[in-house]
Amino acid sequence: MVNFTVDEIRGMMDKKRNIRNMSVIAHVDHGKSTLTDSLVSKAGIIAGARAGETRFTDTRKDEQDRCITIKSTAISMYFELEEKDLVFITNADQREKSEKGFLINLIDSPGHVDFSSEVTAALRVTDGALVVVDCVSGVCVQTETVLRQAIAERIKPILFMNKMDRALLELQLESEELYQTFQRIVENVNVIIATYSDDSGPMGEVRVDPSKGSVGFGSGLHGWAFTLKQFAEMYADKFKIDLVKLMNRLWGENFFNATTKKWAKQKDGDNKRSFCMYVLDPIYKVFDAIMNFKKDEIDSLLKKIGVTIKHEDSDKDGKALLKVVMRTWLPAGEALLQMIAIHLPSPVVAQKYRMEMLYEGPHDDEAAIGIKNCDPEAPLMMYVSKMVPTSDKGRFYAFGRVFSGKVVTGQKARIMGPNFQPGKKEDLYEKTIQRTILMMGRYVEAIEDVPSGNICGLVGVDQFLVKTGTITTFKNAHNMKVMKFSVSPVVRVAVEPKNPADLPKLVEGLKRLAKSDPMVQCINEESGEHIVAGAGELHLEICLKDLEEDHACIPIKKSDPVVSYRETVNEESDQMCLSKSPNKHNRLFMKATPMPEGLPEDIDEGRVNPRDDFKTRARYLTEKYEYDVTEARKIWCFGPEGTGPNILVDCSKGVQYLNEIKDSVVAGFQWAAKEGVMAEENLRGVRFNIYDVTLHTDAIHRGGGQIIPTTRRCLYACLLTAKPRLMEPVYLCEIQCPEVAVGGIYGVLNRRRGHVFEESQVAGTPMFVVKAFLPVNESFGFTADLRSNTGGQAFPQCVFDHWQVLPGDPCEAGSKPYIVVQETRKRKGLKEGLPDLNSYLDKL
Amino acid sequence: MFYLIGLGLGDAKDITVKGLEIIKKCDKVFLEAYTSILTVGKDSLEEFYGRSLILADREMCESYIDDILKEAQDKDIALLVVGDPLGATTHTDMLLRAKQMGVKSQIVHNASIMNAVSCCGLQLYNFGETVSIPYWTETWKPDSFFEKIENNFSRNLHTLCLLDIKVKEPTEESLTKKVRQYMDPRFMSVKEAAVQLVQIIENKSNPGIKKNSTAVGLSRVGSTDQRIAVKSLEEMQHLDLGPPLHSLVIPAPDLHPLELDYLEQFR
Repeated sequence: MVNFTVDEIRGMMDKKRNIRNMSVIAHVDHGKSTLTDSLVSKAGIIAGARAGETRFTDTRKDEQDRCITIKSTAISMYFELEEKDLVFITNADQREKSEKGFLINLIDSPGHVDFSSEVTAALRVTDGALVVVDCVSGVCVQTETVLRQAIAERIKPILFMNKMDRALLELQLESEELYQTFQRIVENVNVIIATYSDDSGPMGEVRVDPSKGSVGFGSGLHGWAFTLKQFAEMYADKFKIDLVKLMNRLWGENFFNATTKKWAKQKDGDNKRSFCMYVLDPIYKVFDAIMNFKKDEIDSLLKKIGVTIKHEDSDKDGKALLKVVMRTWLPAGEALLQMIAIHLPSPVVAQKYRMEMLYEGPHDDEAAIGIKNCDPEAPLMMYVSKMVPTSDKGRFYAFGRVFSGKVVTGQKARIMGPNFQPGKKEDLYEKTIQRTILMMGRYVEAIEDVPSGNICGLVGVDQFLVKTGTITTFKNAHNMKVMKFSVSPVVRVAVEPKNPADLPKLVEGLKRLAKSDPMVQCINEESGEHIVAGAGELHLEICLKDLEEDHACIPIKKSDPVVSYRETVNEESDQMCLSKSPNKHNRLFMKATPMPEGLPEDIDEGRVNPRDDFKTRARYLTEKYEYDVTEARKIWCFGPEGTGPNILVDCSKGVQYLNEIKDSVVAGFQWAAKEGVMAEENLRGVRFNIYDVTLHTDAIHRGGGQIIPTTRRCLYACLLTAKPRLMEPVYLCEIQCPEVAVGGIYGVLNRRRGHVFEESQVAGTPMFVVKAFLPVNESFGFTADLRSNTGGQAFPQCVFDHWQVLPGDPCEAGSKPYIVVQETRKRKGLKEGLPDLNSYLDKL
Repeated sequence: MFYLIGLGLGDAKDITVKGLEIIKKCDKVFLEAYTSILTVGKDSLEEFYGRSLILADREMCESYIDDILKEAQDKDIALLVVGDPLGATTHTDMLLRAKQMGVKSQIVHNASIMNAVSCCGLQLYNFGETVSIPYWTETWKPDSFFEKIENNFSRNLHTLCLLDIKVKEPTEESLTKKVRQYMDPRFMSVKEAAVQLVQIIENKSNPGIKKNSTAVGLSRVGSTDQRIAVKSLEEMQHLDLGPPLHSLVIPAPDLHPLELDYLEQFR
């Protein structure tokens, strides 16, 4: 631990080239938090009485009990590179001249898929990511999800192969096998990286490469780690080879013949893979000697690797001794911190290429240039990515990153929520920043100001922002882009207080819950129901527990979890749908058609998006989906919420005053897209075409009151005549288990309408990985069911994957979708039965 | 039988004798209360007619008119409309529906702003297309009516501008909700209309009508305290003509000498 005063930390903050903002991401249980602890114990800045206690970053009681991370936590670290290592930093923007100390802001985030919204929030404020992979189980579904997200946010990854101790001790892998395992993981990771970025992109080379030193190996639990750099240093003098060249030789298809002293590119009888020979063999020897109690060998080995055992450790043996030796020989903190300082970008480097991904406004205004240059003298631009509860109940710190300018205690700033639009007053507050604070694990420290490139917390902003927002001093600033979550809140429960008199407390508690979690949605239905929606069962469980114990502090009744559905259509409307306005003077003629396959996903992922230039977007739609180019240019809007996967297209010709009713039609469309005709669920994958409009000549007779309800009625008629269908959310489910349990898995999946699409053995282990699609609706109690059917040997990870049509016609009594529609309508307090086309469709 | 009865413009006594007779014999009498208002309230109407009236708001007249018409199949129902039933307000749809449902209907005409506007001295023969000026909102600022005024102007015709009336209009937000909330009643004044017109003029590159063009403001036409004022549009922005209702006229550029003389008294 490093003991720093706040002033000293503040001093480091100005040296923006020596800052590294990074997150640690991985699949659940791959050992992030344990690994993070070994970093913190080496370099954590706030030294406290608790230093050294396990899982420093897991601050909540349930986190420590369950041994999983639920909320992400930020910690600052300080690390000095040695003179000899400074040469590895070649980019001038990666280090201030004559400064070898680095300020590392690390965010440890949860690995469980249900909490991946926390990861998204963490990625936004960091520039680099340490991707931790358990080398025994390899790249898992969550590794892929978060890595993909990281690349999309332009976060540079480095890789760490964790749990090497298990590979050696439990699986007893041969060195060549272990090399192959490593090689495979590196390849897997690079394939994912290559899918979402390329080397010629703005970030430059993103791939991880052991021979460059951007891949680490080791064991977080035992506290040791290395990169090829560490081993190359050991041999460089002996071989008289340049360090960098040697690192290249220590990985890949490089073989060394010990008798002839020749390097080769191919394996033959006498030579051996250099990585095995020079890196793995010494480690194997140490393991072998210590675990098999070969006393004599131990002493000579220790001398060779230059480790002296301290007196108090001298009577240890077996695993305990192994830990001490490895930790002294290859200290994890040193290797990892070097990797971080050398390979991860500084804010100066990163913000150059991240600006265009972060900022919604023009790329040449003051704010954009301030972000691009990470300029502390430019106007303030700060993004608040999440809210962190304070010890004061109901209040939150706004946690985020300063991208430009300085955030100062007492400064007057514009606080802009996600709905803010430049030039308008909605979702905008001009307030004073009460206090800026440093957030470090469990502790906070007040600080006068924080310059660009740093992460900090703000007091008092929580009253004005729901979850996220932009804080700026620049009057014409646009918003920073809203984060895109990889999961969506598809599971919902209704809550009510056990004692009806507690309702106000519940309402207040829900407000706080909505703030404290980046993704949870708390919805007050018009029927008076209070809905909490989350990513999965576990996520909801935690949210409701928080609600009950921390936010509302009252006993709560909750309904069984239900799934959100989507409404869509199967065909084009079978007739031109006409609806007349209440005063009968205005008439709308429209049709609905299903979107081509892939387009809804393109919209979800932002590849087709309302903010695109309409010409570029039209070209894309024409090329990929064969949309008529003139029509594709006239997409009026996306919906629901202005961004959803449904569109309204103006296919009319020469209608006078059409632009004067556009806003009203759009409002009606947003309404209909949010509450579909069948069960008032969101629409998905529907394109509405406006073919003709008849309007009253006088503006007063075609205002919102006339047009908005009419649009909705017309859209409803379109849906009802286009073979409406329901869609349900589907999880991608990855299950790890030994071979004997595979049969049990199939049984459980079959009962739950799941289907397996991939089954494979994890190379080098007896474990099997089964991948399946499982409807979310069938996933409740799935984990428990699976465990009881496999003797507790199978562990599923479910992540939302896609929407699929629920087979059957919701208009046909008795079909599955019909039942779902009726249940949903009943729950929402709607009239039971089916919607009547005649109440929406008018006759000419 | 379904009767549409015009009430005229001023107070309770503006109703025609024929209209009054029908009201007295009807089973039910509705008072349409959203397209215009009288200077007196529902109470004094009830007192004068000696019977109770049912207020019919926009939703009732537009969405639930079928129920009223159904009743009219075997009863006598009257709907009272301020001004003329088919004047500035267009209740033609109601009559079409009545015909469809086999309900007989009768119209009792009365004075409307469409003809009473002649009180300012401009000849009715020389009026062009009538326009309405709606209240602008933050996002919705239609200006197509200005084109029409300009068209009239270029053809040397006067334009009668009816000014927005908002009685029990749902708020923008509640339009997309199940529970309707209503705005407070608002009546556009000549002043507000002039402000919006001047804004449009300022945004146009070369408008035919300028800020210093003449405009005629009228308020409470047909009642005893009616007021008429002739001023430039620019000055009109600061003119208070008292309580509603207001109307605005943009006169043609070249006026008949008699028109000019008549207007002169309101300057």
